[in-house]
Parts: sequence; structure tokens; C-alpha cells
Amino acid sequence: MSVFEDNLRKIVKQSPELAAALRAAQGGRLEIRPTKSGHPTGFAQGRAIHSTYDPVKESTSWAAAQIMSCREGDVVLVFGIGLLYHVEALCKVLPPSIRLVVAVPDLVELHDACAVRAWGDWVRRVTWVWGVPHSMAKRMRELGSSVRLMTYVPAARLHSDAYAAIEESLRRSIAHAAGGQLRIAVVGPIYGGSLPVTRSVVAALESLGHHVDWIDHSVHATSYQALARLKDARHRQVMQNKFAEFLSQLTLVRIAERPPDLVLALAQAPMTLQVLEHVRKKHFLTAMWFVENYRHLTYWQQMAAGFDFWFVIQKGGCLDAFRYAGAKEIHYLPVAADLAVHKPVSLTSGEMEEFGADVSFVGAGYANRREILPQLITPEWRLKVWGNEWDGATAIEPVLQRGGRRIDTEICIKVFNATTVNLNLHSYTGKGLDPEADFVNPRTFELAACGAFQLVDHRSLLGELFTQEEMATFRTVEELQQRIRAALHEADIRRGMARAASDRVVREHTYRHRMKELLTQVGMAQPDRVGTILKGEREAAQLSRRCVDHPELVPLLKNFPVTQRVELEQVAERIRQRGPTATLSREELLVLMLDEYRVQTRDLI
Amino acid sequence: MASLIVQLARLGDLLQTLPAITSLTARYVGERFDLLCASTLTDIVSLFPGTARAVPWEADQWQQWALGWTNSPDSTMTAAQGHVHQLAAQTYDTVYNLNQHPRAILAAHLLGRRVVGPGSDGPLSENLPPWGAYLRKVARDRSANHVHLADAFCGLCGVMPPGRVPRITPHASDLPGSLEKVGDPRYHWVAVIIGAGDLARCLPPATWARWITALLNAHSAIRVVFIGSSGEIGRSRAIQETLSPLLWGRVWDATGHTNLLQLALLLSRCHWTIGSDTGSLHLAAAVGCRTLGLYFARARVHETGPYGDQHWVWQASTFAPDTWPIDESLDFIVAQTGAPQLTECTGWQLWEGHVDAWGMSYSRPGQSNISVDDRIDVWKRCMSTDDRENVLL
Repeated sequence: MSVFEDNLRKIVKQSPELAAALRAAQGGRLEIRPTKSGHPTGFAQGRAIHSTYDPVKESTSWAAAQIMSCREGDVVLVFGIGLLYHVEALCKVLPPSIRLVVAVPDLVELHDACAVRAWGDWVRRVTWVWGVPHSMAKRMRELGSSVRLMTYVPAARLHSDAYAAIEESLRRSIAHAAGGQLRIAVVGPIYGGSLPVTRSVVAALESLGHHVDWIDHSVHATSYQALARLKDARHRQVMQNKFAEFLSQLTLVRIAERPPDLVLALAQAPMTLQVLEHVRKKHFLTAMWFVENYRHLTYWQQMAAGFDFWFVIQKGGCLDAFRYAGAKEIHYLPVAADLAVHKPVSLTSGEMEEFGADVSFVGAGYANRREILPQLITPEWRLKVWGNEWDGATAIEPVLQRGGRRIDTEICIKVFNATTVNLNLHSYTGKGLDPEADFVNPRTFELAACGAFQLVDHRSLLGELFTQEEMATFRTVEELQQRIRAALHEADIRRGMARAASDRVVREHTYRHRMKELLTQVGMAQPDRVGTILKGEREAAQLSRRCVDHPELVPLLKNFPVTQRVELEQVAERIRQRGPTATLSREELLVLMLDEYRVQTRDLI
Repeated sequence: MASLIVQLARLGDLLQTLPAITSLTARYVGERFDLLCASTLTDIVSLFPGTARAVPWEADQWQQWALGWTNSPDSTMTAAQGHVHQLAAQTYDTVYNLNQHPRAILAAHLLGRRVVGPGSDGPLSENLPPWGAYLRKVARDRSANHVHLADAFCGLCGVMPPGRVPRITPHASDLPGSLEKVGDPRYHWVAVIIGAGDLARCLPPATWARWITALLNAHSAIRVVFIGSSGEIGRSRAIQETLSPLLWGRVWDATGHTNLLQLALLLSRCHWTIGSDTGSLHLAAAVGCRTLGLYFARARVHETGPYGDQHWVWQASTFAPDTWPIDESLDFIVAQTGAPQLTECTGWQLWEGHVDAWGMSYSRPGQSNISVDDRIDVWKRCMSTDDRENVLL
């Protein structure tokens, strides 16, 4: 019997349809070459899929690294076929309680794998899902709720689109089902642009039903800014660093007082690497939403390895840079709008007069804005510029409102609503438009949420957030002038675009959407810890149903309302409430012992 | 009859359990004693005289179960029950628990029918036996105390201190690389414990460099062995970089190169061990190496000084000393004169160890042991009536 037929015989019992499909398929995706160890390896698109020296050894190392994250009850889904060395290695090290599933987007590749080398009995352990991505994802959802993805990158890149589609489909299903109650500590900055984002994040998470503990460091802003008045630069820096360190420790104390499922920090949150390391050792999950331009603020380089998850507003080189700096999980997550804050408002005629204009710009006096905005001062339209940090910008003085004082969010919203054409010019410290124009700023979403028409400088990531029918852009100052001119004369088009942009924000770009997406990503990577909570699997009724082998636990769980999320600490507390003279069963002693170790993992201070 | 001693603390406390094991086996001749300890320490327990078996406590595994319980309570309980059953197929008749932590109390109740020591009134009771209450008071109040921790462990078990120094004998095992040469009789070997689990008990690398330079310059026969964990390799490098290259050939670096059994063997080949209050210092004492302890931060000589005669401790008067008794220590380490000439220097006092019927104590060199009455008083107060009748009379 040929190797191919012998291998097929091993999978036919479990997957007769797959075996038949493989027999009908033809190989040829992989070019097979010998290796120095004697085991064959495969090449595709000119690149080796397994080691050209010793694919077995390489796969063994890969599998050993992968299983570190596995938990009992997981269903492991492997992306990447190749010659299945990595799957064989996983079978050898995965505990029997963990189910192993391999996704097969390409029968031709699996046919090659089947024909090249003899499979051992390990292959009988594999569950195969195959077909189009949607059907594979559907099958995965049927196989288990705690899906842990393992990607063997050299092989997976051959079908990266299919694997991404499966992942996206799984993610969406988790997001759709999400309803559990997570405890989330949100760590905000002392001050700055990420502070309002933090407020919106807190509101969004609460509106999704999670319990949020906002560790709000903005209450310390006055003290921090007082340090800025120290005359000696060295003293100033030392004291500000010490103050930030203190706040970092304070963050730790707050986390210790109310241990969360997830610590979510926003850019500029005072958390030192030392504190992050401490938090990590205690098994807390940490995430950072870095809502800043990674090219300008570079402190993330020292912090990259400290967070379990990074969410950033840029793609491409940004994702690579974070990975090179040691980030374990990095995802793109653009900013959004908070509909409770940014919304259409009715203005009095007085307010329309005060805040309205043909063309308005709200923002700080960055170099590029100092250069571009004076070019827009013309008798053709009435321009108003709002915001601070315009000192020395004499050319802008005639149109600068309120003497260049900082304006609050309420006034911003009035300006947006009262203006015919709002300019949205992303900040840049050089002259002209940002040459590395990728991320989309919060203002884009805020203006859209207000139902205001805007002209925004072209951004490479804008196209996937808004269509051209929703958002008007420009690439040069000349184009900007032309588009202002046109917009001022085309009221219907202007209003139509503003409405469409507003609808898109409501549909897809609120902080609720972003937080759902963020938690889904965390849930996907941590199916046992966060994923199950999001799916409500830690509620008393669900837990009771799962205690089939330990009916003595059921009475303990019956003490709780059926929909209440029940953790070990609550069960242990009920046992302790029985008082110092209680005689405890073995199960109760075990519950208390487990709770002691839960406390140990949380014992931060 | 089978009994279990529970000691889930770190290496230092585990070694301080030796006198209690010695006394228990002497009092209950023919009874089997197992010792429950951290799984990372079971190798060293295999050297303990009087201990039939080291029962490994897998803290990491318990942590994993704790994290996974709510996700999968039934399988977690099954696994945990299976684990406990594996630890002790049959319940122990008596469990001597030496730790006050709830984990140790719960482990004692999971594994035994009768618990002696903390938890003796039940797993949820906050009552402590007299010795437990005494230790807690000393720890909380930082009050004066002359009863050594190892002897208090004896008290918790209801036995008197053994009145002699229990020793462990390392197996002859391979030492890695050049460490095999440690113990060469042509030289005078001094082990230096360069770190500590508690950062507050670590001497700065520059201070160690001064110590080692002074030692090596004091006599050409001195050889120094660095003792430390793999996490202290950087510290070892920092010290070595500060030393004159001319001295490098007389320094052996065992940092991160030994397991516990090898470390025990290595220390047994040294004439002296110097270091702060650490597990390695107590291991050195247990294998019969003379020790010079540098006690500062929270370390107190009367409570945790190395157990046995021939040990010396410099006790600092401040939490973080800024001067170190380097020159004052050289005469009795290098010349082995027996009695040190200088017993005091700024911020430090030297103490000498003694063992008597009431256990371990430290006194100032050349002065009578003033702590005997104090210790007798504590023993009388803390022993139960039954134990007093059995032991003291």
C-alpha cells in the first residue's frame, strides 16, 4: 500500500468525506526536498515551510512554545498545513483533554502532505475542518467554546486570507455573543489627549455591562503640573519621574484592592515597566490602547514587552516595530466617537454668530497648521481658528478666536455644529501635510458624530473607515482651497456627506464598537479566562450544569442567583461564613485551598 | 503510625525544621515521618536524617487550578483531588504543621486526621496554639526574643529542642566544571553568598568586591567561591568586574551553576561561608561549614542565626547599614584564631552561637549566655500542661 493510501486509511474513519475529497484531489502545491536530517521538507513560493535541517526538531520546539498557553478544556485550532510536522509535534505534547483541530483551506496542500511521509497514529487524534472559511468557522463553533488559535506561520502564510477570514468569523461570533460581566480596571493618563478617550472608554465598557474601575489619575494633574514650574530642569525631571512612579505604584494598589479580569491602560497612563512586570507575575491580563502616533511618542519601545496586548491606531510598520520591541500581541484599533459627547446640537442665533463661520479649524498650533492655515485667509470666506498654543503665529492672529485660549469640549461641539466647512488637519511637526499620513485622528469621528461636514487631509487608513461618499479629503493646499470653494457652494452634497458620515459612525465607529472589538481580541487570545466570561459561562447556572462529576459542589453554587457570575472567591467566602468551628468536607477544603492560590496570584502589595 | 510534617516555606525555614525532625524521631521511635515541602526543595529533604519521604507540594500547579476553577470547576476538582490522593494515598494519623499560613493549615487538614500546630482547632479557626501565638506576637511587635525559630518549631510539634546540632551529609555527586576543584586542601575556601531572595538583604556588589578583595589580600591561600542562583548571575558579574584582574584566578563562580544537592556538597567543602540571612547560609551551617552571617534589614540573630556552634553573626543596628565589618572579620576567618579580636564596629555587634538543652542561642563573645532564663520562661509558658509533664519534668 502506498504512503498516501496508508495515511488516508488513518483519517477515513473520522473524516470519510475528507478522505474521499483528498483521493479526488491532486497534489502539487508543495515542492518536496530532502533535509540534512533525512526528513523531507516542503517549499512553496520559493520559501521553505519547515526547517531545511531538521523539521522534526524545529516542530518540537514550536509545539513546546505553543502549549505553554494551553488550558484544560481548550480546543486548539491549528492554522498551517505544510507537511504536518508541527501538528504531529503538538499531538505528542498536548494533554488528552485538549482537542486538536486542523483547518484545511487547501486540499491540494494536504494531498501533498499525505503523499510525502507516513503519518503515525497521532493523526487519529486530529479533527479536520475543511472547506470555505465561513463553514470552517461554523464547524469550530460547534466543536467548542474555548478555541485557542495556534498559527504555524511558515505554512499559514500560503493561505493567510482564508485563515484571517476564519479568525474574523470566530471573532464576530464571540463579539455577537458577548454579554458577560468582566471586571475591568481602566488606567487613564494624568492629562492630555488620551484623557477624553479614557472617559469614553469607561462609558462604553459600562454600557456593555462590564464592571469598570476607573483608575483616574487626572485628579493628580494639578500636582503634576505644579512640578513643571520647578526652575531647574534636572529637578523638574527627577520630581516628575518620581511622581509618575508614585502614581504607577498607586495603580498597583488600586488593582490589588479590586482585582480585575483585565487591566486596560490608555496611552500615557502612569505604569512603569517594573509595575507591569509585577502585575504580569500575578497573572493579571494587561492591555494598552496606544491612541498616539507611535512615531512621535516613543516610550512604548521600553514598555512593549510589559503589556499582554497592545492596541494601536496605525498599521504596517507600526505593528512590526511593536513586535520587534517585544510586544506579544498587537492589534490595530482605530479611535472612534462618543455619541453621548459628540452629537448634533441646536444653537441659538447668538451662538451661531459667535461660533459659526464659513470655515473653521479647532486645534493646537502645530508647525504644519501655522504654515497652511494662513494660506486660507481670504476674502472669499470667513475663517475662524480656535484653540491654544498659537504663540508667535502672527499670520493667524486676525482669525484666532478668544486670544488663542484653550476651549473646552462643549465649545468645540458648538463650533463643529455652527460651521459650514470644518477643517480637520492632522498635526505634524514639520511643514506642509504629514508625509507619513496613516492613522485617523479622533477629530474625524467627532466631527462626523456631530453631523458636521469636514475636509480632512488624506490618510492611508481613512479609506477602510469611511467611503469617499462619506468623507471629503484633500492631498495638497491647492486642493484644499478648491474643495472649500466647492463645498461652500454645494450645500446638498455637503449635507449628504455629513449625514452619511454620521450614519457610518453610529453604525461602526463608536467607542462601544471599539471596546467590543478589543475585548473580543482579548477573549480570542484568552478563551479560558476572558472568552468564557464574555460568553456568560461563569454564571451560577452554567457552572452547576458543568459539575456533573462533583455533585457536592452544586449546593454551593445553588446559593447564588442563576445569572450571577460566580468566581472561586465567592464560593470560598460562602464556606468561610460557616464560622471557625465548622467541620469541612474534603471538597470544601479543596475549594478553600484553590482560593488561597487565587489570592496568591492577586497578592500584589 | 505515619506522621507528616508540613513546612511549605522557603529553603531557610525548611532547614530550620531539622531540629524538630530530630526531636520528633527521638521521641516517637519507630514512627514514620514524611515531610511536605515545596516541590523545588524535595531533593534537599532526601538528605534529612529521620525523614522517610519528601512529599512535594506543587504551588504552581495549585495556582493553575486556581486560575482555571471557574472555567472548569468539575475537572479542576477532579484533578486537585487526584493530586491530593497521589500525595498521600492514606491519611496521616498526625500532621505537624509548622506554618501559620492558611495554605499550610488547609494542607494539614486535607492530608491528616489530627493536626498539631497552627490549625489544630480546625481549618477555619483563628485560634493559635501558644507557640504559634508567641511567634506571631514576636513577628508583629518585633519584640525581644531569644528563642530561635528552629526551637520554636520544636515547640509547635510538642517536643523539646534536640540539644545537639542536626547535620545533613551531602551525597558525593558531580560538581559542574571547575567547581570540582573546590575543597583542594592546599587552600582555605570561603564561600560568599552574593544575593538573597529578599532584596533588602542583598549587599551591594561594590561592598562584596571590597570584602572579597580584603579576604584575598589577607592571605595568599584564600580562595573565594561565589554562591548564588541563576537570577543572580548579573550580580556576580558586577562583583567580578569590580575586582582587580589579578585576583580573578582565585575566585570560583558557582552562581547559577549548581542544583541544591550540588550546592550542599560545594558548601561542605568550604571552610567558611559568609552571607546575609539566606537559605544558602543555613544550608552551609547544616552541612557543617562554619558561617559568618551578616544580619541586617529584617534579619535578627536570635531568631534565625545559623543553627549550631561555631557560627558567628554580625548584627546591624540599622535596617540598611552603610558601613560593613570587613576588617573586623578578617582575623578569625583568615587566621582562624578562634576568638575574634574585634567584636564591635560602628553599627554592628558580633554574636557567637551556642547550643544547649534549651536549643540555640547567641551571645556576645566572651560573655555568659544571659538568654537562658528568658528562653526557659518562654518554654514554660508555651508548652501545654501535657507536654510540660512529658518533657520538662
